[in-house]
Amino acid sequence: MTTPKMPVSILKKATNPATNSSSNSRDDRNRALALHHAGLIQQRKDIELEILLSMETLMDYPLATFPYNASNPSPEDAKTFKDLLWPFQPSDYDALLVERNINGHCGYTLCPNPRLKEEGGGKYRVIYKSGKAKDFKVVEKEELEKWCSEDCARRALYVRVQLSETPAWERGAFQSLGRIDLLDEPKSDDVVVMDGIAQMQLGGEERDRQQKTANLALERGDRGTAAQSGLVDVRIQENQVQGNAQPPSLDIDNGDLSRRLDDMHLALEGHIPTFGTGRQISQDEEDTDWKL
Amino acid sequence: MSTEEDRQAKAREAESRESARLWRAWRTVHEMLQDRGYTLTEEEVTISLDNFKSQFTGADGSINRSMMKFSANPSDAMMKRYSNLPTDREPTPAPPDIGTIWVEFLPDSNVGIKQMRNFAQHLSSNNFHTGILITTVNITSAALKIIPAVAADTRIETFLEQDLLVNITHHDLVPKHVLLSKEEKTALLQRYRLKDTQLPRVQTSDPVARYLGLRRGQVVKIIRMSETAGRYASYRLCV
Repeated sequence: MTTPKMPVSILKKATNPATNSSSNSRDDRNRALALHHAGLIQQRKDIELEILLSMETLMDYPLATFPYNASNPSPEDAKTFKDLLWPFQPSDYDALLVERNINGHCGYTLCPNPRLKEEGGGKYRVIYKSGKAKDFKVVEKEELEKWCSEDCARRALYVRVQLSETPAWERGAFQSLGRIDLLDEPKSDDVVVMDGIAQMQLGGEERDRQQKTANLALERGDRGTAAQSGLVDVRIQENQVQGNAQPPSLDIDNGDLSRRLDDMHLALEGHIPTFGTGRQISQDEEDTDWKL
Repeated sequence: MSTEEDRQAKAREAESRESARLWRAWRTVHEMLQDRGYTLTEEEVTISLDNFKSQFTGADGSINRSMMKFSANPSDAMMKRYSNLPTDREPTPAPPDIGTIWVEFLPDSNVGIKQMRNFAQHLSSNNFHTGILITTVNITSAALKIIPAVAADTRIETFLEQDLLVNITHHDLVPKHVLLSKEEKTALLQRYRLKDTQLPRVQTSDPVARYLGLRRGQVVKIIRMSETAGRYASYRLCV
């Protein structure tokens, strides 16, 4: 006899403490996930703002005047230029060129000259310097007006090709450490001295070790919020061992081998499948009709 | 001699065409601000071409864009429409997020970061709540990134001069858009038992949304003519 069951509502979820706690943990997990992604977006926005501010700074470069020029920039300006340029993508660099041109500067950031203004109207210009056919080019006037000279164009594009196409917030530690070289690095004495100072090991081993740990952490990607809040929760659960472990052996003595030879044609990679009732194939149940 | 006359005639024609363009943009901006609820006199909005020319013609005989700037104050009705509702948690709600608006036509042939910074600087130094910058050319992408960067201080809207030659809301196929106040919005959501995200949407970059200066979370009532029902109202949430 069955006891009459209580009608169960399909609308209301049965509330018991077990499901409650699990939903709580799920909420926590979702919140952590949402926070993690919000953190990523915030990181991206920060970098974009940084790029904008760097662009505003670099718009009016170079700061140093007379003895320095585009081929021999002042070491401070060159250093700031390289430092500020790390999050730039080529497209950001192009935007910087446009902004500099709007303000009448040469497109190359370390060049103090004003940009060229081509005389006369027309949209295109014909260039042929050497008189050979391969040097003959038809160029847009705007392209020519970006720079003060061809050398500056070469310098600026030399920097541009070193920039990474990957957005700064997606770069790994390896890429973000890349240095930018200028086409004609300043060769003056004080720069050599500056480089020597920069390469000197001032902090000794301790600082070196810290730097290496930081680099390793960066390479692993331990900087996001996910790593801090432990979004990936790894718990190691040991298997419980009952009895002593025994190595497999070939038991010829108790007639096991003959039994195994009988089933061997059924074995799939050592496993003998059982169908339906899950009945074990055993010696006594086996079909014996074929036996004489 | 005739070629010289031709040239002069052409130059004059180009000039008058240019001033007519500017006059139309000027009128559209005024109509836009009036539709948003700023107080402007009727003479300011319906200025005639001759009056406009006499007011803004510079020394060289053409219209001087750098003289074309004005400010307007929100009307009481507009203040009321933008006011926040008192809630249980905040019995004294924040004042409406609206204030004096500054409109400026920029004559520059290039608009970059510097021009944008200057405009933002001018707005914040003169305590203008909102600024509308009307340019003849596209603003560079880097300069547009300044708008969210200074959004905490001032609101900046940008329009192209050529987009303002015609008032789009006067077109036959553009239905009437009415901004709902917060009170009306809650009433609407209660009436239909909706969450605001369940409403149809309109983008902030939508031409009419830009015309009305809609912000995220505001709801517009769109009134269309219907052959069967006479009027048909739908509501859209600005995203």
